[in-house]
Amino acid sequence: MVGVAEGKAGTAKWIRGRSAHLRGALLGLVLERPSHGGELANRLAMRLGETWRIDSNDVYRLLQNLLDEGLIEVREEPRRDKRLGTRIVYHPTELTSAALTRWIETLLPRETFRLGLHAKLAVAREQDVPGLRLALAQHRRECLTLATMMCPGDGEPGSWGALFMDCTRDGIHQMLQTELDWVNRTLRRIDEYADRVA
Amino acid sequence: MGPGSLSGRRVHAPLLSFANVGKHRCEGERKTVVLESVSFELQAGSALGIYGQRRSGKSTLLRLAVGLELPDGGSVRFEGRGLESMSGGERARLLRGPIALLTADGWLPSPGETVMDHVAMSAGSAGLSLREARRRALAALDCVGVAGASAEEMTVSLAPDTRARVMLARALVREPRLLAVDEPAPLPALLERERFCALLREVARERSIALLVASEELSALQGIASLASLSAGELCSTEDQGTVVEFPRRRAGAVEGQ
Repeated sequence: MVGVAEGKAGTAKWIRGRSAHLRGALLGLVLERPSHGGELANRLAMRLGETWRIDSNDVYRLLQNLLDEGLIEVREEPRRDKRLGTRIVYHPTELTSAALTRWIETLLPRETFRLGLHAKLAVAREQDVPGLRLALAQHRRECLTLATMMCPGDGEPGSWGALFMDCTRDGIHQMLQTELDWVNRTLRRIDEYADRVA
Repeated sequence: MGPGSLSGRRVHAPLLSFANVGKHRCEGERKTVVLESVSFELQAGSALGIYGQRRSGKSTLLRLAVGLELPDGGSVRFEGRGLESMSGGERARLLRGPIALLTADGWLPSPGETVMDHVAMSAGSAGLSLREARRRALAALDCVGVAGASAEEMTVSLAPDTRARVMLARALVREPRLLAVDEPAPLPALLERERFCALLREVARERSIALLVASEELSALQGIASLASLSAGELCSTEDQGTVVEFPRRRAGAVEGQ
């Protein structure tokens, strides 16, 4: 299946980079149902959840990337109320389905959400330590808040939706636990360091 | 009558509150801090999950919450009354009535004892008649899904899954208002563990029991509306509005037996 998406999609630039997950998910949503940009942004935010912090401006940029690659196309369609004129609706092309398959088969880059904290830790000066502690504590609180949002029992038992929720919850709990342990240990290292140099 | 007035405060007193609770242990010359200025409130019928790694002070926090230990600093209050101002006898009565503690090492079966006896005995020691104790034991066993024939099984030969449920029934039979659980699911299989945690939440919700659950696994705390992380004796909760930055801090390493 991988070789099917030839041409521009074959270069697969869209499949790399920071927003590859969102581009891939957008392809899936367009395949499910052609929609206009605002609706796609809403559906994406609803499907993935608020932790993704999806911004509709970003969604338009991503849709443009996919248009440039020929993976989706736009059609001008009349609005429900004809007097309001037309609107741009995003449709799949003949490449979309294979491109989605290819994206799903692609290995994920290794990433965690602590990347930003890691960068801050790398360059912090002595006077930044209180701010760094604050950033770490905020991250810890965010991890705990996310964990409380992962409530069991969503979706009908036995449905694909329930399977998706179980896998998501399981993965997120594992990840959050690792994050929490890392933050707690990092704070402790910083405290012990401060005790030593004081 | 506002919540600030005296009678208002009585109504709004949280079920359990920790105010700047500190606890240390002395090991020879070395003094180690186990808990440092821990504060939180637990309202009646609500739930708090405490996540922490091994030796982070979870068990000590629970033992303080149920009055098995007293704090070295600060105050632990149950229904508005400071546990440190009560006599040992009063605190023991709390643990036989409105407060229940569930721990993995609290399983002490006697030879020749059935599940029913085991649970009814727990109610009996709270001063109930045998008939009433058996009635409550039956209801509690039914509630945790160990009904009928299982109630006549011998406690010494129970499967881990049933044992966990019977321990829960034993705690429920005294109709507690606070249920403190140290490591809710020491069960080997993941699915059994998830089911037991779900049962715990459901039972607490149905009976309006406040839950205080500590675990070293975040997934064992799923479904609990409010979570806190305990590390190096410091408690950080989702309820905190902001973090007070103090630096540099002096502390000894946290030491605690699980």
